[in-house]
Amino acid sequence: MIALLGRRARAQWPVLAALLAVVTLGATLLGVCALLVTRSASLALGVAAAQAEPDRTTVTAYTANIDGKDAAAVTDATRAVLTSAITPFGATTAARASSVTRELPGRTDDARTYLSGVEDLPEKAALVTGRWPRAAGHPARAETVLLESTAKLLGLRVGSRVRLAAKPPDSPAPAVLLTVVGIARPLPGAGWDRDPLDGAGYEADHNDGDSMLTFPAYGPFLVALPDLLDGGSSLSRMEIAAYPDLSHATPATLNTLVANVLDADPRLTGTVGERAQFTRIASGLTGTLIAARHQQDVTEAAVLAVALLGTVLTAAALALAGRLTAGLRAGETALLSALGTSRAQLAVTAVLEAGLIALAAVALGVPLSSLLHAGLSHLAPMSGAGLATAPQVSGGQVLAVAAGALALTVILTLMAIRSEAAPGERGRRELLARSGADLLLVVFAGLGWWQLHARSATPDLLQTLAPALLLTAGAALALRLVPPALRVADRLARRADGLPLPLAAFEAARRPQAAAAGLLICLAAATGTFGIALDATWNRSQHDQADLAVGTDLTVTLATPPTPGQGGAIAAATGAGVVSPASKQGLAIGQWLGAGDPPQLVTTDTTHAAQLLRGRLPDGDDWAGVTRGLAPAAPAGGSPVPVGGTFVLAGRATGSVPLTVAPKLLLQDPSGLRTLCTAAPITLDGTRHRIAGCAPADGMRLVAVALPVEYDPYDLVAPGQSKIAVTLVAPGPVGDITGWTTLSAEPMAGQIAFPAARAAGNRLRLTGTVQVGASEGGALTLVTMAFPAPEVVPAVVSRRLADGLGVHVGSPLEVAVGTTAVPIKIAGIVPDVPAAPGAAAVLVDLDTLSRVLTARGDLEYPVDSWWVGEPTRTDLEGLHLGTVLTRAGETARLTAGPLNAGLPAVLLLLVPAAVLLLLAGVLLHVTHDLRDRAGEVARLRGIGMTGREIRTTLLAQHAFVLLPLLAAGALVGALGTLTVAPLLVRAETGAPPIPAVTPAWPWGAELLLLALLVAGCTLAVGVVAGVQARRAGAAQIRVVS
Amino acid sequence: MILSVRGLHRTFGAGPAAVHALRDITFDIEPGTMVALVGRSGSGKTTLLNVIGGLDRPDAGTVHIDGNDVTALDEDGLSQLRRDTVSYIFQTFGLIPVLSAAENVGAPLRLVRTPAADREKRVRLLLDLVGLSDHAEQRPGELSGGQQQRVAIARALAASPRLLIADEPTGQLDAETGRSVMALLRGVVESEGVTALVSTHDPVMMALADRVIRISDGQIVA
Repeated sequence: MIALLGRRARAQWPVLAALLAVVTLGATLLGVCALLVTRSASLALGVAAAQAEPDRTTVTAYTANIDGKDAAAVTDATRAVLTSAITPFGATTAARASSVTRELPGRTDDARTYLSGVEDLPEKAALVTGRWPRAAGHPARAETVLLESTAKLLGLRVGSRVRLAAKPPDSPAPAVLLTVVGIARPLPGAGWDRDPLDGAGYEADHNDGDSMLTFPAYGPFLVALPDLLDGGSSLSRMEIAAYPDLSHATPATLNTLVANVLDADPRLTGTVGERAQFTRIASGLTGTLIAARHQQDVTEAAVLAVALLGTVLTAAALALAGRLTAGLRAGETALLSALGTSRAQLAVTAVLEAGLIALAAVALGVPLSSLLHAGLSHLAPMSGAGLATAPQVSGGQVLAVAAGALALTVILTLMAIRSEAAPGERGRRELLARSGADLLLVVFAGLGWWQLHARSATPDLLQTLAPALLLTAGAALALRLVPPALRVADRLARRADGLPLPLAAFEAARRPQAAAAGLLICLAAATGTFGIALDATWNRSQHDQADLAVGTDLTVTLATPPTPGQGGAIAAATGAGVVSPASKQGLAIGQWLGAGDPPQLVTTDTTHAAQLLRGRLPDGDDWAGVTRGLAPAAPAGGSPVPVGGTFVLAGRATGSVPLTVAPKLLLQDPSGLRTLCTAAPITLDGTRHRIAGCAPADGMRLVAVALPVEYDPYDLVAPGQSKIAVTLVAPGPVGDITGWTTLSAEPMAGQIAFPAARAAGNRLRLTGTVQVGASEGGALTLVTMAFPAPEVVPAVVSRRLADGLGVHVGSPLEVAVGTTAVPIKIAGIVPDVPAAPGAAAVLVDLDTLSRVLTARGDLEYPVDSWWVGEPTRTDLEGLHLGTVLTRAGETARLTAGPLNAGLPAVLLLLVPAAVLLLLAGVLLHVTHDLRDRAGEVARLRGIGMTGREIRTTLLAQHAFVLLPLLAAGALVGALGTLTVAPLLVRAETGAPPIPAVTPAWPWGAELLLLALLVAGCTLAVGVVAGVQARRAGAAQIRVVS
Repeated sequence: MILSVRGLHRTFGAGPAAVHALRDITFDIEPGTMVALVGRSGSGKTTLLNVIGGLDRPDAGTVHIDGNDVTALDEDGLSQLRRDTVSYIFQTFGLIPVLSAAENVGAPLRLVRTPAADREKRVRLLLDLVGLSDHAEQRPGELSGGQQQRVAIARALAASPRLLIADEPTGQLDAETGRSVMALLRGVVESEGVTALVSTHDPVMMALADRVIRISDGQIVA
């Protein structure tokens, strides 16, 4: 047998080489997929962890209420616990601590201050003047830096000295002499929200948690951390943040890290003991890694589904090659049987040969898959995701290659040893078997589709198999359509004149082996087209998800409230055409009974919706059209206020009850941002009060003034009326106010009668008659504003909100924005509101909302971010405004992020593999077919056909078979794209993406692929047919005779 | 003369291993005659028929059919010759397996783009002639060897050739069937007025022939 195998291998080496090539291709594909889901996935997790936003991986230890004598020791112990928790990773740490409050010297209002030490202060604040403090090394003296606002309010400058007295012994803080060496400005997003005064430098009614008392607080006095820790002052709070260096993380080390971090919390408590009243270690690391693993599972399932598809395709190619080889050896097998070789011996020979092929395929497949994987990793998207690797071999890869090669060669063995039956019997039997197999395939495919449709959170085996099953079932069913089509061609050919084309049609329709490669060709075409479409569908979905999640081209989520001029700075930095203040906040809707997160309110400038809003809408809709009517008909006017201008306000009130107003001025900058300028309550006794700092930027305009009128209920003897007249002297001419609206704000609209405003020169005079004591509770607010007061806010709501509330276009809604009730009318319903994917959300125009709020006496402007449309630059780091998120960046993260790169990478492999297998199958089939028919072809010469006519006949014959098969394959691929591709695409969490996935069929790429396949098939058939036509002559006739 | 062969030489291979299949073959055939080409296996009969039919080219010499120099024709000319003037009958019948008997007979007519109605009429006539009218829709695999050869003869006659070349037409048939096929051939030569050059071992065939040409080692011996 060995000798037979050897001789046969020498004689039939091209056949064996073809079989080996197909098995190796399949095994290599599996090997690459194994590397993608093991090595690349492992690397991706580390890269994703290393690339995660620092706040998602930072481990922070918080301690509070530490006695002064323990401060340094607790800090050291906390740092040690953190450092050991982060082992085996290196980490940098940064501590921030604040002392208990102590009295400010020379004050009679119980004003207090506190010391703070911030380890990386130059990273967290910008020095305005002076220098950073140095450690003095003496407990009674220290250098300090003040925040700009604190210095201004306390009248301190560089060189000033402040002596803080000692605190009582229950919370010790020794006296200390502070020398101001610098003035600094806090940077946004630098953790100042954890400062006792939020980095504001001042709070009028601060409560430090020690008692119920509130007091004016100033600070911090920023000193070098060692001075604070060694100075003996008790600490109210202390935090140490550790930033692990995850650049070489592996799943195993990340698991260790998470376990250590979870364990660190009790360890810190145990280590610090009674020395601190509160200890906690917090980190987003665990959540970050869980999310990453979810995403990895999603990618892994998709990669495995594609790998299975490739394997099924390879199996189809191998079945064809095996069948052709068996046909080629039919004579030899018959001869061996005639010579007495038993079926068992033939089977042993087949197994031996298949085993040798499997061994060779493994030997080739392992290095090839390593090289291919390394090559893929150097191409986009893997290279861009930081997943480029050198060729490597893993146990899983070798196992996958070996299992794949063995499984595939089992097909070869079965093809070789299957029993030969009489043609009629075999035909019937095969027809029955094939019909049963088709039916079974369709049933399994249906089950797989149902499983995919059900979208269980964790993909199961059937879900993974579903794409391969569906395409195979589709291809098997599509094959049933080819014979009837060919029979039509046959009928047409009978009536036609000429021989070459009719003969080709007859050959195609009547030869049973004409479509022997049908399943492979149909499945490969289906796989190729499906692979391209799945890639396009996946990419489109990631773009859609990014568009909707960001909601615009660029957002800046502010770390601190917005300031006038910020929009102009952003526009200058980004080169954007449209920059709008915006917000996204929770919304209270009384009728809302929907599940999940509370409804969201999204506000922005909808007059530029086309440039600003992003997110897929149903065909035919666009954001400009959808949001038409949300914005006011005309922009707000207002009175120009020169930069740095100061207002002066004075008023009088009649009646016996002293009235006060807390004036609120609403100013708008050129970007549309409205900022509120408030002043302390002013008694209406004719005294003039300055209101400064309202217009820090150019181009501002006063758009509204609200005067909440208050009185002390103890002064009220009996209800009565009080006429008030308040004059606001602006820094410039007020101008014409005929378009202004003056009213008594809701809900106490009737409590200020005859509201009126009059302008003359730079004076704006507001008058009204206050119904003093007419009702209890609620502010009486006189408002004048430079625009009409809308009755309701027109809104576009998400489908989820509309369904949850059972409302439709035109329905009214009552919502609460902050504490103000706002009537809303639904102007449109969209699948999702930008920046609120999947949420029950309401989109309104910011200007309209602001007008309605203003009319209700609420001049707060609900802005927490900037939305930027069509920016040309995105680098806003220098402005230190907050978190910048771009649509392009989010798209890149979703499409080319390390955890997502596996699917597009394996699709890069699948499509060429499908093309290769198809062309190899066609070549094998045509070669065998024409060799079997060599004599027949030669005799065509004998009856007078020219070489050209013979070539035409052969080409047309295969074209009659191949073209319908390719078309059927493309149709199956298209149907697969429609039914399966959307179900294969998942969001990062494994849930269905939002917005829903729309199948993409990239016509250009699909037509290119089909053209490539047609050209490849034509070339393969053309070459073989040409050779055969050339050979058709006397010699061939002699051979067959 | 319908066929004039002059000084034909054909050698396969080169050097000491060269096989001289034809050596200075010269003969003429009158129109309307049936000539038997007789010789042992390997004597050069098939090579001579292939050269005459334009399926092979001689190293030297000329073949004129109906006055046309076959050896000077290019591939297209040779194909045209086989369509219009010369027809082949192969030992292994040479029928196209996927075509019915009628379609096989009609194949040469399709090549010359005979209109469908004329083609069907001619096919019916020829199948009648060879006695296979009842088997018109059967494919070669469903016919006996003798019936297949009759179909081959009908196909050969379809385009009304001037010269019929038959290479051992009874070689695959039993004696009785062979005789009936030979009789048929003789009959069509007479009825259709064609010239037939038939290679054979069959003495019956030799008896039916108007003339016998014997060939041995590539040379005409009688």
